[in-house]
Amino acid sequence: MAVLSAHGIEAPLPPGFEGRIVIRAAIGREVPYPVANFSTFALPADVGDFGSGAVTLMGPSDIFATLFEYGPESLGKPLFARQAMPRALTASDFRPYVLRRGLNGQSGSQWFFTEAGRPFTLYVVLGSHVQRTLLIPRVNDLIGTVSIAPNLPSMATVTPSSTQSPQVSPAPVPARSTGAPWN
Amino acid sequence: MVALAIVLSVVVLLMAVLVAGLLRSHADILKALHELGVGVGEPGATDGHSHDGQRRHGPTVGSEAADPVRVPLTIGPPLPGERNATSAPPVAGMTPRGDALAIVVTGGEGLTLLAFLSSGCATCAGFWQAFRTPDQLGLPKGTRLVVVTKGAELEIPGEVAAQAPEGLPVVMSTDAWSDYEVPGSPFFVLVDGASGRRIGEGVANHFHQVVELVRRAQSDARVFTIGSRSRGLVDGLDGPERELDNDRELIDAGILPGDPTLYPSSLDDIYGPPGEERRRDADRPPISRAG
Repeated sequence: MAVLSAHGIEAPLPPGFEGRIVIRAAIGREVPYPVANFSTFALPADVGDFGSGAVTLMGPSDIFATLFEYGPESLGKPLFARQAMPRALTASDFRPYVLRRGLNGQSGSQWFFTEAGRPFTLYVVLGSHVQRTLLIPRVNDLIGTVSIAPNLPSMATVTPSSTQSPQVSPAPVPARSTGAPWN
Repeated sequence: MVALAIVLSVVVLLMAVLVAGLLRSHADILKALHELGVGVGEPGATDGHSHDGQRRHGPTVGSEAADPVRVPLTIGPPLPGERNATSAPPVAGMTPRGDALAIVVTGGEGLTLLAFLSSGCATCAGFWQAFRTPDQLGLPKGTRLVVVTKGAELEIPGEVAAQAPEGLPVVMSTDAWSDYEVPGSPFFVLVDGASGRRIGEGVANHFHQVVELVRRAQSDARVFTIGSRSRGLVDGLDGPERELDNDRELIDAGILPGDPTLYPSSLDDIYGPPGEERRRDADRPPISRAG
């Protein structure tokens, strides 16, 4: 089993999955953060963060998943209140209208959460909404083993000080988990 | 004169002691090797193959056959029957930029061409240059090109990054070199996604030779897929399982171990005397090519 590991994300890949964990080049003044793409089909080199350029290549039995990290400014926001990534999705978690780009027959699920002090969204696309009960176990095999490490010091929020050495601010943790899926 | 004779005698005596010591040491080594079971002509020698498929030289440790203990000694590369020569495991590693990348080469419909290159080899420079214009490579449509270099422990990521064209997947993975038994760079492996097998591999000096290799392997794979009844191809068998399957086919065809047809000494043994070939072909039912 191949194991992808970079930028504080580790993902043992179940059979048939390929993937990548990248920090893409910045566009303009943006600060890019790690993105992990997983698929059961050949990922194009220029795949978008949320699968543009890839989801159109999917067959009915294919799966595409993205784990997208947001910047530290998102920490503590209600959208990211859910603690920890969902590890077991069900058929009711998938909706055809959740897709970022509505493609006939496909289905999607999106979750915002905070894990290890890092804000993420998990976005999963199934090639066929009808076959979701067959495909979801494979999705769960994938997301069930993904691990996220706490922020690296270089990626954490740094509070500069003229007299003291820089201090890494701990990520604010919401008082309670009230997060919900995006669907 | 007497002094010289004494000195010479002492020297001869010392040399004799030295030679005796060397002989004793040599005997000890031979004895140890003999006990390990790697002596030549060992009466208890097996056929050189263990039950787990590993090739080992020499017999088991200990002279008592009742309780054999295998010597964990493997000499030389695996023999063809021991290799899984057509498997196509995923290629996973780091990119020169420090990202992680895993590519599955099986399962799809298309072909994947794995180009095992180095940042430093002179021949590879031409391939790196050619990959900067992917539209002019001439590969069959749907062929996915992936460059694989050795891992960061044996390559300098910065140098690989400097050579790697934008948009081309480059994986740095020493494990992939081992998995695909790459003898050196440049080396190319062609994988058919549908069958999940390597259908071609080899070296080349120019990319047009690689394109030719791809075309030839593609057409060969098509011919064998259509014309063979072998389970080796149909079931994707490889390595020892494939050899066993071939043995079964031969036995089913009445060709047992020791059959003289397995040991041809001339072309006539294979094709028969001139003039008989046509008659023999007419009498014999067609046999598909094994594995």
